[in-house]
Amino acid sequence: MITIDRVSKTKSRTRILYDVSFEARPGRVTGFLGPNGAGKTSTLRILLGLDRPQSGTALICGRPYRKLDRPLTTVGALLDGSGAHRARTARAHLRWVAASNGLPDRRADEVLEVVGLTSDARKRAGQFSLGMSRRLGLATALLGDPEVLVLDEPVNGLDPAGMRWIREFLKDSAAEGRTVLLSSHLMGELAEIADDVIVIDKGRVVIQGGLADVTGGHRTLEDAFLALTAAEEGGSW
Amino acid sequence: MVSLVRAELRKLLGLPTAWIGLVLGTLTAPVIVLLNAPYTRRAIAAGTLTDTTDLGLRDLGIGLIGPMILGVIVVSSEYTSTGPDAPGARQLTTTLTAVPSRRRLLAAKTTALILVVAAQAAVTAAATLTLTQVLHGEHAPTPAPARVAAAILYWTLTALLAYAITLITRNGIVPLTLLIINSSVVSVSYLLTKVTDLAAYLPDIAGAQMFIRSADVPVEIAPLTAGLVMTAWVVALLAVGAVLFHRRDV
Repeated sequence: MITIDRVSKTKSRTRILYDVSFEARPGRVTGFLGPNGAGKTSTLRILLGLDRPQSGTALICGRPYRKLDRPLTTVGALLDGSGAHRARTARAHLRWVAASNGLPDRRADEVLEVVGLTSDARKRAGQFSLGMSRRLGLATALLGDPEVLVLDEPVNGLDPAGMRWIREFLKDSAAEGRTVLLSSHLMGELAEIADDVIVIDKGRVVIQGGLADVTGGHRTLEDAFLALTAAEEGGSW
Repeated sequence: MVSLVRAELRKLLGLPTAWIGLVLGTLTAPVIVLLNAPYTRRAIAAGTLTDTTDLGLRDLGIGLIGPMILGVIVVSSEYTSTGPDAPGARQLTTTLTAVPSRRRLLAAKTTALILVVAAQAAVTAAATLTLTQVLHGEHAPTPAPARVAAAILYWTLTALLAYAITLITRNGIVPLTLLIINSSVVSVSYLLTKVTDLAAYLPDIAGAQMFIRSADVPVEIAPLTAGLVMTAWVVALLAVGAVLFHRRDV
């Protein structure tokens, strides 16, 4: 369960989030949709305790991220890039992350297998392609077998096979009762997997609800999204 | 906390740059003792080097490049870009999602750094002083254990100083360049002692007096005071670095 309650954030004197509130529930895939620069990543960074909001709260299972003990066993997060130092091998990266949360070394090999990187375990992260980096990032998120997944633009850089794989993976995760929150600026992608959708634009949530509710009278989620985010500027993004 | 320290040790020792620091730092002092051996022998024979109490120990003042590299990269590796695909992405994001408490993370990092540098300093001191005994046995008095311990402390505090500065700058290149130049090419600290007596209380100048007796300084500081002066510098800079680390967004 993820609860974001009236989160506001100002960065370099520019307001980037205005009272953002939403929930992501267990057993469902929640899509966080918006154009680039709308505030998706900023919201997720606050949720993960990386950045601080000026006001409001972001809770995971009722607690702020910074108060979680061994957080990887509760939340798996994927942000930009692989998150691994370029000089480290995939396995070495996963092993230190595992150690920091008291997880055994064998978890590193297990998650490498899940994301299909077993044969690249000894390669340095700096030599990884964009798609492999995303897989390594996802492997890191899965180390603690978490009940909550927070993924920022997870399909970016993946090939079609990788996209299909992650779609199935996230659907299965939700079916197992996990809370899945993923951001995307690709409406088509979200329309295929999201149960609930939150649309954010210029730092404000413009609509949220079940996929069908958000799509509303529009033919597709894309139409609804364009209508909602283009209201002010004629869709100039 | 033990698992956090173990993770930080793995992280540090998994970096190729850390091994450059370990090898360079450990070999420099013994190699210099070897290279200087003929000169030192002649100087003792000619009577120009009468005070031999610092033999070996003085060489431990060199090789500090090791602890400096280690202290800097413990922090700077967190801020290095993970690659051209995601220029803003850094390992620090992974670190803080794994260990969200800044206080515990810094405690673990500090402990890991102290363990590695103290071990390196102990090995280097043993190698350097043994070599000095072998080469100049009859002239080099066996150094008191307290002075050897002080030399190990000096190395450790130097690493912590580099670490604290990098916590403030969040970039390794500037502090590493300045620290290495200051400790090898041109010692700005030393030049400052020619301008003002206060420079004797700079961390590197004061700290060296913990274990080197005949230092060329304007103000002689007793070993214990010297240790306290350097520790005060380290604590002050670490406090600033820790507060900034706590307050900043990643």
